[in-house]
Amino acid sequence: MRITCPHCGARDVQEFTYLGDANPQRPEGMATTEAAMHDYVYQRDNPAGRHRELWYHGAGCHAWLVVTRDTRTHAIEAVDTANAIAKGDAA
Amino acid sequence: MADAVTTAWTPRGSWAGILASGAFGAAGQPGITIEARDGLCIASLIAGDGHHQALAQALQGRIGLDLPVTPRIVSSTRHDLVWAGPDQWHLIATDRDGFDELLRDLAPLAAVSDQSDGRAALRLSGPKLRDALAKGCMLDLHPSVFPVGAAALTSIAYMGVHLWRIADDPESGDAVFEIMVARSMAGSFWSWLSASAAEFGCRVTATGRG
Repeated sequence: MRITCPHCGARDVQEFTYLGDANPQRPEGMATTEAAMHDYVYQRDNPAGRHRELWYHGAGCHAWLVVTRDTRTHAIEAVDTANAIAKGDAA
Repeated sequence: MADAVTTAWTPRGSWAGILASGAFGAAGQPGITIEARDGLCIASLIAGDGHHQALAQALQGRIGLDLPVTPRIVSSTRHDLVWAGPDQWHLIATDRDGFDELLRDLAPLAAVSDQSDGRAALRLSGPKLRDALAKGCMLDLHPSVFPVGAAALTSIAYMGVHLWRIADDPESGDAVFEIMVARSMAGSFWSWLSASAAEFGCRVTATGRG
């Protein structure tokens, strides 16, 4: 599998580290319930198909990426930097 | 009670004890030439939030180079600016003249860290260089995709490397690459490079810095 880093171009997957699902948002700790925090920390979907996930380009530009990938085929639909998504200006 | 001074600290080149001038590997015309790039002044620059433009202007004014925003290196006779990640660069100077003052003046605009003694760099060329690099480098270094001025961060034999291509050798016409690694990796990197390059025949120019 190769991931096209928005900064570096297409690179072998061994340059990257997988973190996991990019969708969970951390609840506001002091305001949330124990159950909601438990879900955020431990509960993950395991989809057969489209998955948004975080990858770290540790052997390259050190950027965090959000990769949209089909877990059945490894076909990659989109790669954005997590930074661009956080700022709201991803494609 | 503290002892009297027992250690004399003397500067030591990053390839001291690793590289020796001479030839090794296959005999005959060398397929690869290796030159130590000791004594460079190197600093990492990370632009402060919202200071990218101001940093670019300051560098243009001080050394006449534009900050590359893609993986590239730009060079003048005394300085290089090489992309080192998003909003990050390495500033490289061939001598110390004015370098500390330059870093001091950039400090309000960027996180500046002197890396001169923290990196080890080699200049590599020769007709067989790409064949040797291909044994460990996963990037396509063919001229059609890696032209003069291109730079990349990648890994070779599990070691992080920063590499770029500078102007071709005017005499031989061969492509010239420079590879920089963390200084603590210099010995391990040399172990990989010397093993990979030996079959092509190598000529080494060390600087002789102790």
